[in-house]
Amino acid sequence: MQDKTTGKPSKTLIIIPAHNEAENLPELLKALKNTKGDFDIIVVNDCSDDDTESVCISHGIKVISLPVNIGIGGAVQTGYQYALYHSYDIAIQLDGDGQHDPGYIPFLIKKVEEGNHLCIGSRFIEKEGFQSSRARRIGIKFFSLLIRLLTGFEITDPTSGYRACSREVIRLFAEDYPKDYPEPETVVTVLKNRLKVTEIPVVMKARENGTSSITRIKCLYYMIKVTIAVIIAAVSRRRVVTQCE
Amino acid sequence: MSSTLRIVLITGSALFFVFIINMVRIKKLELKYALIWLLTSFGFVVISIFPQPVFFLAGILKVEVPSNALFLCIISLLLLMVFALTIAVSRHACRIKKLIQELGLLKAELDNPVSKYENPVRPVNPKTDQTDSK
Repeated sequence: MQDKTTGKPSKTLIIIPAHNEAENLPELLKALKNTKGDFDIIVVNDCSDDDTESVCISHGIKVISLPVNIGIGGAVQTGYQYALYHSYDIAIQLDGDGQHDPGYIPFLIKKVEEGNHLCIGSRFIEKEGFQSSRARRIGIKFFSLLIRLLTGFEITDPTSGYRACSREVIRLFAEDYPKDYPEPETVVTVLKNRLKVTEIPVVMKARENGTSSITRIKCLYYMIKVTIAVIIAAVSRRRVVTQCE
Repeated sequence: MSSTLRIVLITGSALFFVFIINMVRIKKLELKYALIWLLTSFGFVVISIFPQPVFFLAGILKVEVPSNALFLCIISLLLLMVFALTIAVSRHACRIKKLIQELGLLKAELDNPVSKYENPVRPVNPKTDQTDSK
């Protein structure tokens, strides 16, 4: 990590993918301003129909507005591309719906600075706060087990979208990132590239406004798609991660 | 094969062939993608006039009814064509996603007030401006 070798503070970027989150964003942005630490914020507005863009501008937050809706995966990847182009050392992904408390950002940064390549904010280490519905917990358990079988690593919350990445992972994600439901698959990709993944306990809130992108009808599609994606990611060839200078 | 069926097949496939040629002519189909359809429709015309190869194939594959051998060929061909299309669609989806992302990033760079005033995106060079005006 840069600060280990050069002693320079790491440049951190917070990536917030947002699709129609104008109601949730103001509170999140306010909370981010009160969060300790030195970081830049970028909101990736995935072609929202509401005032997401103007909310960001009025808060003085930089926003990337995509001209066409490309889904959560594509939006997050745009954030990683931005991080790569602007040579950030750490990128933290944070959902725009207010589920993720920005208060954990300093802890995530610390974990990456310690040499971990990916640090996931997990709901299930201390089992506090919003634990999601029972059916979803079973689904998450299933993916957790699948990942342990395929990679040998224990990841308690592979579906968490609250995560911090090092430069190596930023590069990996900027090059290739799944289109929809990317979380479990990308954890496997990172593990398969022999990069270090760790977790910190976080407390998540139930979302404030709006609905989750995963409705009951999409649930079956989600399970099948993600299962196949995880298996494919596990048997994929390791991509050579060019060591960043 | 009855002569009525043959007449219907010949006229049908001939019309299809003419239709494709016309689509290419009025530039609704790109020749690159129309080529496979041109070959297919030409194949239909040939087979409806000279169906002997189908009987021959049915004999080899021990298919009792020759038309089933024809169906087999056509379905295999269609599967291949649809699969090729899926590949093309995936490639296009990938390219479009990349374009959207680059466009979003570029727009963000242009809109950024910092880069506009402190570090202009396009530095003004008086020398090149002069040569441009001449």
